[in-house]
Amino acid sequence: MSDYAIEMLNITKVFPGIIANDDITIRLKKATIHALLGENGAGKSTLMSVLFGLYTPEKGIIKVNGKDVKIKDPLDANAYGIGMVHQHFKLVHNFTVVQNILLGVEPTKHGILYFKDAREKIIFLSEKYKLRIEPDAYIEDITVGMQQRVEILKMLYRDNDIMIFDEPTAVLTPQEIEELMVIMKELKNEGKSILFISHKLDEIKSAADECSVLRRGKYIGTVDVKNTTKEQLSEMMVGRPVELKVEKTEAKPEETVLEVKNLVVKAEHKSKNAINDISLNVRKGEIVCIAGIDGNGQQELISGITGLMPIVSGEIILNGQDVTHKSIRYKNTHGLSHIPEDRHRDGLVLDYDLQKNLVLQEYFQNPFSFKNFLHHREILNYSNKLICEFDIRSGEGSFTKARSMSGGNQQKAIIAREISKKPELLIAVQPTRGLDVGAIEYIHHRIVEERDKGTAILLVSLELDEVMNLSDRILVIFEGEIVGEFDPKKVTINELGLYMAGSKKQIKEVEV
Amino acid sequence: MKKILALALSLIMVGTLVSCSSNTTNQGAVTEDTQAQTTQAQKSETYELALVTDLGTIDDKSFNQGSWEGLVQYAQEKNVSHKYYQPQSKETSSYIETIELAIEGGAKVIVCPGYLFEEPVFEVQSKYPNIKFILIDGEPHSGDYSVYKTENNVMAVLFKEDQAGYLAGYAAVKEGMTELGFMGGMAVPAVVRFGYGFVQGADAAAKELGKTINVKYHYTGAFAATPEAQAMAASWFNGGTEVIFGCGGAVGNSVMAAAESAGKKVIGVDVDQYAESNTVITSAIKQLGNAVYSGIESVYNNNFPGGKTSVFTVENDGVGIAMEHNKFTTFTEDDYAQIYSKMRAGSINIIDDVSVTDTSNIKDSLTATKVDFVG
Amino acid sequence: MKKKHLDISGFLSSILAIIIGLAVGFIILLICNKNQAIPGFQTIITGAITHGQKGIGQVFYYATPLILCGLAVGFAFKTGLFNIGASGQFTMGAFGATLIGICIKNLGQVHWIVALLVAIIFGAIWGSIPGILKAFFNVNEVISAIMLNYVGMYLVNWIVGSWKIGGKQVLFNSLRNESYNVSQSAIIPKWGLDKLFPGSSANSGIIIAIIVVILIYLLLEKTTFGFELKAVGYNKHAGKYAGINEKKNIILAMLISGAIAGLAGGLVFLSGTGRHIEIVDVVADEGFTGISVALLGLSNPFGVLLAGLFIAYLQSGGFYLQLFSFSTEIIDIIVAVIIYFSAFALIVRLFIMRIHQKNENKEKKLNKSDKKRGVE
Repeated sequence: MSDYAIEMLNITKVFPGIIANDDITIRLKKATIHALLGENGAGKSTLMSVLFGLYTPEKGIIKVNGKDVKIKDPLDANAYGIGMVHQHFKLVHNFTVVQNILLGVEPTKHGILYFKDAREKIIFLSEKYKLRIEPDAYIEDITVGMQQRVEILKMLYRDNDIMIFDEPTAVLTPQEIEELMVIMKELKNEGKSILFISHKLDEIKSAADECSVLRRGKYIGTVDVKNTTKEQLSEMMVGRPVELKVEKTEAKPEETVLEVKNLVVKAEHKSKNAINDISLNVRKGEIVCIAGIDGNGQQELISGITGLMPIVSGEIILNGQDVTHKSIRYKNTHGLSHIPEDRHRDGLVLDYDLQKNLVLQEYFQNPFSFKNFLHHREILNYSNKLICEFDIRSGEGSFTKARSMSGGNQQKAIIAREISKKPELLIAVQPTRGLDVGAIEYIHHRIVEERDKGTAILLVSLELDEVMNLSDRILVIFEGEIVGEFDPKKVTINELGLYMAGSKKQIKEVEV
Repeated sequence: MKKILALALSLIMVGTLVSCSSNTTNQGAVTEDTQAQTTQAQKSETYELALVTDLGTIDDKSFNQGSWEGLVQYAQEKNVSHKYYQPQSKETSSYIETIELAIEGGAKVIVCPGYLFEEPVFEVQSKYPNIKFILIDGEPHSGDYSVYKTENNVMAVLFKEDQAGYLAGYAAVKEGMTELGFMGGMAVPAVVRFGYGFVQGADAAAKELGKTINVKYHYTGAFAATPEAQAMAASWFNGGTEVIFGCGGAVGNSVMAAAESAGKKVIGVDVDQYAESNTVITSAIKQLGNAVYSGIESVYNNNFPGGKTSVFTVENDGVGIAMEHNKFTTFTEDDYAQIYSKMRAGSINIIDDVSVTDTSNIKDSLTATKVDFVG
Repeated sequence: MKKKHLDISGFLSSILAIIIGLAVGFIILLICNKNQAIPGFQTIITGAITHGQKGIGQVFYYATPLILCGLAVGFAFKTGLFNIGASGQFTMGAFGATLIGICIKNLGQVHWIVALLVAIIFGAIWGSIPGILKAFFNVNEVISAIMLNYVGMYLVNWIVGSWKIGGKQVLFNSLRNESYNVSQSAIIPKWGLDKLFPGSSANSGIIIAIIVVILIYLLLEKTTFGFELKAVGYNKHAGKYAGINEKKNIILAMLISGAIAGLAGGLVFLSGTGRHIEIVDVVADEGFTGISVALLGLSNPFGVLLAGLFIAYLQSGGFYLQLFSFSTEIIDIIVAVIIYFSAFALIVRLFIMRIHQKNENKEKKLNKSDKKRGVE
């Protein structure tokens, strides 16, 4: 028997215009965790699609357990014991956990559905691998972390020995990420072979044994993770040394730009308050970071300030002017820029081309329009200028549909648009979510640059690294309240974690 | 770029359309005379007898179907080619277009069933003097009713509805019924004539039998099957009414629905409506088929009564009640023949003045009947 | 160059849908009557042209309401709304036009313009109701618009049928069981089209429709308002984020859509061809055919213009098919099949794109193997 669970040898896959995989070879050793590292668009997804038979490669051999195989579709892959947890889970929301796991392999007795034994097997598996689930809860009622465990159980139930995790941590909270790392190691110890696709170096360092790096469709190399530093990994991935630490000077905060007083916002579709009496201020030239676990009111806080959600009470003062009851448009044109959390839902009109998206906040103003008629030439010029200035890459420049752009470039487009408005207050909600190291580095630099130009910046982030790296002041939010204010230089991640989890709370002091 | 492309594409399309049209218009100008021949040469057959429907289907159990049956009867007896045509839209210009299509299809005689063809026939009659038109239930006139004119190639056909109504009312009372109802659509002259005849016929029979009878009388105001009409018919039936003359398009269907649940009877209208419901004991009919048949026959016998209005009455078997599928128990074929010949002889006088529609002008002539006009 | 493929694929998909529809139609003809299938099919394709100026004029006449209803639906599609209520708006427009055409006298030259404006206003009001309901109460516009189709139809029936002044019917000609003729001055002018297409009913309606198509195109592509409408249509969250007043947009979009459908109704009932309001329980077809037209035209104003002309052309061809011994139902089926396939234009579009992709891959492969061979 071979030492390798999967060998993909000299895989080449060509798409019109680009070589997505150029002679790539990866070998997954049995009972190890093998990371596949690469920026967005490096060819990771294509490679996995080849493994699952969704694409036929122009060249190359796939071996499973040492034997040559032909995989024509995902069912073949499943037959060879290969299972996958997708980045976006494939679960039926109005089915229970057990029903989802059994979907497609429903056990029957005399032709009638019979779940009892199967249910017991699922519970047994979940206990064995410490995968906490509620077997009879509906998917729509459980947390994202549990949904992911359901996906893992799906593979276990099908006796998959080879597991592929596609960017599994993108949707998880820090605690859930830690938990997942433990689960993956547990699976490895039980003899499962894991291919772990990621671009987060910390996770790879903590979980993986080996790491193969792809860059722009090319195979860069495979390294032993233990003996490789994060810096080395990121250099392999990006192709040049990357600053993991953001270089920035001491903040020189000046007068207050945003002042929020006693803000109360109701949660959507619920009667309770998502934001309860929050007061905060952001000054010119500083980055204030709202840290917290997802779902503690960050979204409502920002929506309340920007006007996307109605507020119950409180005051919002922008540049000394009370804008509490002003329209979104008014705030947008009076110094507020907003990089929204969900760039597909809020930040972009995906079916508009890039140039239209770049003037989404300003199309109605001179010079982009005059007397209600658009000036297409001005829009195009402006768009070309921003594309150049912000290095936004896309197939057809200004005419590219936003939908067909990569996540990093979509985010760059939003940042270009929002920064070019020359805002006095920049609100950025998870501006680097789902982006690769190169893009994160770029965006962090831009944000610091903006700060140094004198913009007040309110940043919401779930990633503690980002919080510690970028901010000049940290506000921890827990269950709709600010439970602590910290200087990033004087606080540890562990300390912050305690506040975020609600186990500690500062006594509210009256701020000056 | 994208827009230019889209624009260019659409321009090309429009361009081709226009060029197509200009080509053919030129062609049309040159070969105007031969055009009709070439289009005829393309296809294998022509159709001498044609009927243009009033947009409804040929099996509408009404004017289209009744007229078509007469046409088909003649065509089959004499082995003449025949066909019907449907217009694209319910409007005068579309009727004209369809008449012209029938002419292109080789029609010599065109049957136009229904008053909707009054205006189209008026428009085309002088344009096609060699084509014979049979206009059922109407007289050609201009769109604004200012000019009434029937050319020599047009036979306008009207019916004496009051005679058919009279026979229906007479038969119903002779059958033994004493509680009658008349439910008309809108108070148009044809409907009013049916109604007045119905009341007077019932009265005559009651006089003969020495009974007194009651007639409820109502216009629903529309030719549609409505819940209101059905509810009113049901309440009449519940109140003791034995039979209702449902007179006016789909109003009859409302009456039939009510009769079915009440277990009562209905008299149909225009054509024999026995197939619509088991409750239909007979129908007051216009012999559309007879009129069409005789009209076509006259064309081939060279005695076409063009240029005037032909009124179809009992004298020329133009109206009557449907006896073929009747559900009478006491009223017999003989009874019908008797009253029919009496009417034919002209010894029955029916008031058919429809200038007043609420029965007040006929009430004085009634002796054994109480009319309850429901406004 | 990728972009070009996308655009052409949209156009090709409509063409392919048409070809499939025609092919199915031809098969139906073959099944019904082998001998006449080929000339019959020819007639469907060329019927309108072989009937000269008159035939083409008739196509323009029948196309007018189809183009406008298609534009109404397509415009709403562009703004993310499904205006299934074009039928009711058409009816209201027809009613408004008829009302002014019958009741108002002494307007002289501008009578028809006033009547058309009222048709537009009535259609706009009827269209804006689902818009208001959606904007303020989050009522699905599809449901409320369907309801309003019936409300509109019955309302018009009721007013036309029962409005009396001094015991006299105001609008209803009970002799003919339909509304009275509109005044001669309310009939829309011919603008020379009767001379260009003698014997047909073609009138200025088609020109007005083309003007409206151009106006809507300009509105959508060239104005900030169009920018907002489409932005909200594509992504209402992003629209809100960009500070666009979503409620105002929804209402205005439905209002404009309704106005276009209302105009269609006005143009048909003021064309002087003998269309009248009848009291029947049938909602106007034009609004529903408009949906097919919008789909076939991919909601693009110029696409809708072509699609409307095409469907009218086809219906004319079907009409002339009566010269053969096919029963008229067959003709309806064939036209319906083609329209039906047209509605699949979008699906066909995806299909074409996929084929295209595959071919490109194959070509690449072939090129490669050719090169290899060359090397060997």
